[in-house]
Amino acid sequence: MTNEELYLAVRPAVAEALGLDEDEVTPDATLLDELGAESIDLLDILFRLERSTGVKIQAADLSEHVQGGIPDEEFGDEEKDVITPVGMAQLKKVMPQIAGMGLDGKLQPENVMSYFTVQNLTDLVAARAAAVSA
Amino acid sequence: MKLSTKVALVTGGSRGIGRAVCLTLAAQGAYVAVNYRAGRDQAEEVVAEIVAAGGKAIAVAGDVSDPDHAAAMVEQTVAELGGMHILVNNAGIAKDVLIFNMEPDDWRSVMETNFGGVFNCTKAALNHFMSQREGVVVNVSSVMGERGWVGQSNYAASKGAINAFTRTAAVELARFGIRVNAVLPGFAPTDLVSGLVEKGGKGIKKQLPMRDFARLEDVAATVAFLAGPDSRYMTGSALTVDGGGSAQLGIGRPD
Repeated sequence: MTNEELYLAVRPAVAEALGLDEDEVTPDATLLDELGAESIDLLDILFRLERSTGVKIQAADLSEHVQGGIPDEEFGDEEKDVITPVGMAQLKKVMPQIAGMGLDGKLQPENVMSYFTVQNLTDLVAARAAAVSA
Repeated sequence: MKLSTKVALVTGGSRGIGRAVCLTLAAQGAYVAVNYRAGRDQAEEVVAEIVAAGGKAIAVAGDVSDPDHAAAMVEQTVAELGGMHILVNNAGIAKDVLIFNMEPDDWRSVMETNFGGVFNCTKAALNHFMSQREGVVVNVSSVMGERGWVGQSNYAASKGAINAFTRTAAVELARFGIRVNAVLPGFAPTDLVSGLVEKGGKGIKKQLPMRDFARLEDVAATVAFLAGPDSRYMTGSALTVDGGGSAQLGIGRPD
């Protein structure tokens, strides 16, 4: 499936899980902050996506995808409670919209997911689908 | 038939209420996985009875208090019966002891099998139920979860936990197309309460508004109702099947 086709699956999954109209779900909308998704909503979205696309994504895959396999201690600076430069470089790969937000040296690990958008989720599904078919 | 094309896993299905539930669900068309911990022969008998009547069933070994066993039971059910739609959490034990004499292990073991079994098996079934956006859980609890008798604090607490879990799981899982309800039997003639029924049967019966114990089929029919399509709008409910016992004020009218 192309990224565009996947987006056509992601949009209704997000809308139905959150009880929104589909036109409220835009690629740039952040799932947690703007659309108000909670952990149970994310679970619901992932199970809906599994049904409609056949791509199985575990809730844990979400953070793994964002963190890109970088160990916790290299991803976040525990002392300063911010994402390290290495971590920021990874985040800009999977969440390119955060570049230019002036978050370097300021982004706290607990706030990373609040920047995760519908487009980022679509990219994750695409990455998983590619991994499965590869 | 109301449950044809459905597959059910019944924990503690080799005897007592669980056996009656297996036979009733099978009679309504469900394929049944009869779970047992120790009573393999009894479970095989239940399977044979279902098969002889034209149904389909398998015996599934496993201790519900062990999360790995619970996961394996669900896996075996799905693999051998082609899916799973209904989970009846029925397995239970009792160890009546006065609180004064009760050791921590006396309540832990009862809690781990009765409530732990409900938790482990429900959790084990969830991935499958959530993926197919369909699933029914029926928990066989007890009126003792809402009332009390001397010597049953551990048992009552475990059943009370099941009732609370039933409500919470119902709320949490409704959006995934999963219903969770409980049946609260009063006195039914099972091995679990046989001593009691033999010892004080007559005295108990006299005090029940319906003046009789439940038949195992009475409890099984309620489980089947909650497992089937007629209860499609019910979740988080606890249905009491006790001949009116818990509805009445325990202190009788003066003569």
